[in-house]
Amino acid sequence: MAWIRFVLGGALMTGGVVVLALSVIGVYRFNYVLNRMHAAAMGDTLGILLVLGGLIVLSGFTALSLKLLLTIVMLWLTSPVSSHLIGRLEVHVNERLNEHLKEVKH
Amino acid sequence: MTPDQMRDVFFNILLGVQGVILFLCLLRSIIGPSVTDRIVAVNMVGTNTIAIIAVLAVRLGESYLADIGLIYAMVSFLAVVLLTKVYMGAYREKKLKEAEARKKEAGEL
Repeated sequence: MAWIRFVLGGALMTGGVVVLALSVIGVYRFNYVLNRMHAAAMGDTLGILLVLGGLIVLSGFTALSLKLLLTIVMLWLTSPVSSHLIGRLEVHVNERLNEHLKEVKH
Repeated sequence: MTPDQMRDVFFNILLGVQGVILFLCLLRSIIGPSVTDRIVAVNMVGTNTIAIIAVLAVRLGESYLADIGLIYAMVSFLAVVLLTKVYMGAYREKKLKEAEARKKEAGEL
């Protein structure tokens, strides 16, 4: 039983750290803020969910796992709001925004 | 090896990898060309720190560290809100000052 729990939680946590690493790589590879935010949001939601979910599986049904669940809920509520604020700041402040936007023709 | 020892070794490796990720985020916040780049990087630093604090809470078996992670989530959200507000205000002030200077120049001419 302990081994099943360890393997399941370990797999979830490894996946979460891989997602966090991919989000950092994405932030380095994109070259404009509004593109970079996509990669950053991936780590904010899926990475945190997988890492903390793996920790909840490992620690079992305790007060600690309830706090970790609350952390996930808190981050999932605040991350879209902060992304929206950052995007709005960029659109307001950047005077050469049109150079970065491409017209898509269907 | 028992599962507990395996767990500690696994957590140590994971913490090392997360430290490298955190360092790369910090580097991004230093080299980011615009202010918005830096704010995105600071937000990512906060997220990775919460993940590290949560791993440490389970690794050390200290339940109060999870509370610290929860509060860190709130504080990092507040930091992003405040930074965006401050930079928006500074930009508006700059624009206003430029418009006033232009008006004064036109009046003198």
